[in-house]
Amino acid sequence: MLSDKRPSELELVGKSPERSDDVEKLTGSATYVSDMSLPGMLHAQLKKSPHARARIVRIDTAKARAMPGVRAIVTGDELDYRLGLYVVDKRILARGEVRHYGEAVAAVAADTLMQAKAAADAIEVEYEVLKPILHHMDALKPDAPLVHPELGSYAYMAAAFTPQPGTNVANLTKLRKGDTELGFAASEWIVEREYSCPSVQHVPMETHVAIAKWERGDRVTVWTSAQSPFTVRNLMCIAFKLPHNNVRVHIPYVGGGFGGKAGIGVEPLVAVLSRAAGGKPVKFQATREEEFSLLPCRSALTYRLKTGVSTEGKILAQEMTLYWDSGAYADYAVNVTRASGYSASGPYEIPNAKVDSYTIYTNKPYGTAYRGFGHVEFHWALERHMELVAQAIGMDPVEFRRKNALRPGSKTLTGEVITEHTGNVLKCIDKAAEAIGYGRITPAEAEREKKTGWKIGKGVAALQKAPAMPSYTATAVFLKMNEDGTVTVNLALTDYGQGTYTSIRQIVAERLGFPLDKVKVSFECDTDKDPYDWQTVASKGLLMSGNAAILAAEDLLKNAYDTAARALRAQECDLAHDGEKVYLKHHPSKAVRFSAMAVGLALENGNGIGGPIVGVGRYIAQGLTFLDKETGEGNPALDWTYGAHGMTVEVNPDTGEYRVLKIASVYDVGKAINPEIVRGQAIGGMMQGLGTATCEGYIYDKDGRLLNPSFTDNKIPTAKDLPLEIETYVVETPQVDGPYGARGMAEHSMISVAAALGNAIQKASGAEIMHMPIRFEDVWRALNARESIDNWITKSPTGHCRSAPVQKN
Amino acid sequence: MLHDFRYAAPRTAPELLDLLEGEGAMMLAGGTDLLPNVRNGVFKPRLVVDVKKLPDSDRIAFGAEGLEFGPAVTLNDVLRSKDAREKYPALCACVHELASHQVRNRATVVGNVMNASPCSDTAPALLCLGARAIVRSKTGARELPFDHFFAGPKKTRLEKGEFLEKVIVPASSAGAKGRYLKLKRINGHDLGIVGVLMLEKDGALSFAVSSAAPTPVLVTGLRKGVAPDEAAAKVLAACSPITDVRATKEYREFMIGVYVRRLLSEGV
Amino acid sequence: MRILVKVNGDTYEREVAENRTLLRFLREDLGITGPKEGCGMGECGACTVFLNGRAVNSCMVLAVEADGATVDTVEGESKGPELSEIQKAFERNHAVQCGFCTPGMVMSVKELLRDNAKPSVDEIKEAVEGNFCRCTGYAQIVEAVLDLTGRASEKGGIGHVE
Repeated sequence: MLSDKRPSELELVGKSPERSDDVEKLTGSATYVSDMSLPGMLHAQLKKSPHARARIVRIDTAKARAMPGVRAIVTGDELDYRLGLYVVDKRILARGEVRHYGEAVAAVAADTLMQAKAAADAIEVEYEVLKPILHHMDALKPDAPLVHPELGSYAYMAAAFTPQPGTNVANLTKLRKGDTELGFAASEWIVEREYSCPSVQHVPMETHVAIAKWERGDRVTVWTSAQSPFTVRNLMCIAFKLPHNNVRVHIPYVGGGFGGKAGIGVEPLVAVLSRAAGGKPVKFQATREEEFSLLPCRSALTYRLKTGVSTEGKILAQEMTLYWDSGAYADYAVNVTRASGYSASGPYEIPNAKVDSYTIYTNKPYGTAYRGFGHVEFHWALERHMELVAQAIGMDPVEFRRKNALRPGSKTLTGEVITEHTGNVLKCIDKAAEAIGYGRITPAEAEREKKTGWKIGKGVAALQKAPAMPSYTATAVFLKMNEDGTVTVNLALTDYGQGTYTSIRQIVAERLGFPLDKVKVSFECDTDKDPYDWQTVASKGLLMSGNAAILAAEDLLKNAYDTAARALRAQECDLAHDGEKVYLKHHPSKAVRFSAMAVGLALENGNGIGGPIVGVGRYIAQGLTFLDKETGEGNPALDWTYGAHGMTVEVNPDTGEYRVLKIASVYDVGKAINPEIVRGQAIGGMMQGLGTATCEGYIYDKDGRLLNPSFTDNKIPTAKDLPLEIETYVVETPQVDGPYGARGMAEHSMISVAAALGNAIQKASGAEIMHMPIRFEDVWRALNARESIDNWITKSPTGHCRSAPVQKN
Repeated sequence: MLHDFRYAAPRTAPELLDLLEGEGAMMLAGGTDLLPNVRNGVFKPRLVVDVKKLPDSDRIAFGAEGLEFGPAVTLNDVLRSKDAREKYPALCACVHELASHQVRNRATVVGNVMNASPCSDTAPALLCLGARAIVRSKTGARELPFDHFFAGPKKTRLEKGEFLEKVIVPASSAGAKGRYLKLKRINGHDLGIVGVLMLEKDGALSFAVSSAAPTPVLVTGLRKGVAPDEAAAKVLAACSPITDVRATKEYREFMIGVYVRRLLSEGV
Repeated sequence: MRILVKVNGDTYEREVAENRTLLRFLREDLGITGPKEGCGMGECGACTVFLNGRAVNSCMVLAVEADGATVDTVEGESKGPELSEIQKAFERNHAVQCGFCTPGMVMSVKELLRDNAKPSVDEIKEAVEGNFCRCTGYAQIVEAVLDLTGRASEKGGIGHVE
């Protein structure tokens, strides 16, 4: 644990000071890219495909080019670039073929938005419409047309991914542990079931937006609403073959991301438009509808689980097959596939395991990172499955979870050994169950049931997640002391609302021993001025940047002590400091003020010593390895954060209507640096989880057109959708290598909310739900043994058992 | 970003009627249906005629004929009106179910019925309460009762050159109690999957259903004490819901029956 | 069309296209960028401002409709260097995350408290129902209003499991 203090000595860590970005955000003065305008700036609009799959026969831009105010038009034919985080498969604008509804085929930059829109409308595109591949299970059939016939020629990150050329499989992650055949043979019970969930949207309140300026000498400057400035820069430099110091990426305030702004988005598009317009800055902001279909979503998943259990209720073997719908491009979906592959069994020990996790191309908007990085989706399946397995073998589901939960000495799917420092999932499960009064109905609840005729049920679901990131992920933090002894922190981890900067500020002030108001974390990220950070994703920011911040603070103090020692003619070991000065421990009156040293100290005779006081902290993930491509063996996890939700619902057994009465969430956060920020993440993620659990999801027609690309028919929770009662708890099992023991938790709050809901609904009403979102109609259909359908328009069947679900050996 | 159009805010009815005769003229009241539809390219008006500057267009008052209000009266104006709250609670219950607070600060009852959506939340109340529209044209005014008002999805029986000048909710309906059940996908503001209003007045019951047919549905002629199944069957017979992104036809039908029975058993 | 409008106490006289929304007029013509566009369809409330004292979605108001009107945005919420009481309550209660919904949220709360000094939890939720927030999950926003109306004891907290 990176800490110089005992927990009882902490002065700022563990408190909940206000967020440092509040004033700007509350007064309307915080500037987002949406709000920005540059001199001479042009506005971009796109021509988008109305088809899910079509050959582009002809694009005629002549009429559009002649329209007033039009400064540049680009089409895919002019742009010989491919982009991709892991599999380089995506063009800036479609070329030759469109692969999903809403894909951009041409772009216009004009003096005004209206002119750009009129010109985009005037571009004529002739398509030869092809039959789209819409369901990922259909895409696996041998005769399925290929979304990417050239898959074999694409560059990809070979250390982590395995595309299957000649198929629609963009990646297959495999994992083998022990011997599943032996495990199943020894099992008393075998339960096999299939679960599913659709694509959903992140819905950041600020849609994707970027401004770019491509000036003479190929110097490119970008302002973007994104999570990862260095990834935007890196991918742009690779695609455009530009030196990294030619490209500068700015990220000011960001109106939410949730993973949807993790990689690269519309930045290359505005950059090429700017280049085509002779270097004038070009801005593009997605409409809400474009956010749904032009920009990426979360992948749909079909998850098949086969579990062998002993007479005593111990899991002996499990086969896990995950079919991820990547949509038209691989983007982050291949890494979701990988991360969910090695984590697919959740917080449980599986001695004999087999995982096959597929990323499958289809003709739909493409999948990317979304809060939880696959874990929300597969925990939906897994934690419903644990419930149904327990039910099948006649054991209480919480007891079944406890029996199989990871504990010190357990081995994860990849062979990592859990220690007492890893975190305590049992405590999380127990507290979640206790908080909702699991397993019993109180007299007040019984009274309520009598009054309403609705049935009350309680369910628990556990969760785990480790950051999904390269094994050598790194970051750095700079501290600069200002003339008055205050400190400014620079880092390229972005704070797009999650509050990490406030926590980093507390960590820096704690380690420096300074009052909070002497430390400021600078908000705008700038790749020219901030030190490198890989990406703001994976719930790794607090741990990694927190550690780098502590190291930077120590470096700054070392530099200050060095100057002070010379000024005071003392040894460094005899010095101490407070928020104002460095002094001799034995003679505190002999001191030199930080403000005197901050930019270099002038001695009595005018000689200068020291120089500006700065601190540099670098941190790189420790001990992680690549995973074996056949067995999955290795060490992928920076840390594991565990948690559990307990949920109480009431269900109308006739109609399927239900209400969430209470949710209690528990996370082993290691150390809550700022408990109110932890709580904000806990409740915010829980509500997002509840949204995808209850009402969100893409609905397509049979031709692959998105039918609900706006808030009219893609609802997200409002304040009225809050559960009646919410409780949040933390367990604090310190992370050995975390800053003051902390580990990340911002994604985790979204995981397993849907499963807890499904479990509670089943307890209350008997409805066995295998597909999310769980709409009232779904509960009603389940209660009335009607066929479960995920999409009322195309009526695709979903989430049912392929075989007799329970089999007794 | 909106399609290009001209804007006019006439101050007299004749002036407004002149403007309405122009090609592509559309009325603007609260704008909460018109402007999103313009944004989405559904409507392409050449002239937007704002009704809010018309004298008395924002007046709501209870008189001998009943509750009268003009085309600029917002949903929240209705909810703030003591007369509406005390004498027409069913109207308020329906109005309150429509959209969010900000939208209700702008959206008008008249705009909602002129939009003629099958899922209109105000229509059930106007239907059950026997309200009528006063429709003005250059040749004079005529009365159009709401049970003859809706012609189909997004279509009213107003002729070109007419505008809805006033709604009258009859005095004879004052005091009628009602309750509106609306099934939504979330607890927050949403278009209904189905909505059922039951109105009770001197032992007579009427039901109106939204999102259940091409136009809002009215069923009258039931008495208090009617067998719930009989009532449900009668209401359902008047409905013809469809399957769409919000729900299937079968669930809509089922829930209409449930809501009728629930309203009868729980009362207004 | 030429319009005269008072925004946050300042009078502006401007020529404005008739199809321009009030939101775009405020943001692009006057540089008042507190109100945001989240959907352009009146669903999300990020563009909430006061029009003649009532909270409205400014994406569904034409600028020309505001001729002669008074408009208030979050920029006019605090006078001088101090935050307003509503803003302070949001700050104390961690009711802000990404901040994109915040300017609209503050305006909705302002209208609520003007009409109702002691709103119930349900009334608070209803007042901000039209303001989508994807970050906070709303609880700390509701609590900010409770805190402001002297009911901080109804706030939730975080429990530590030993």
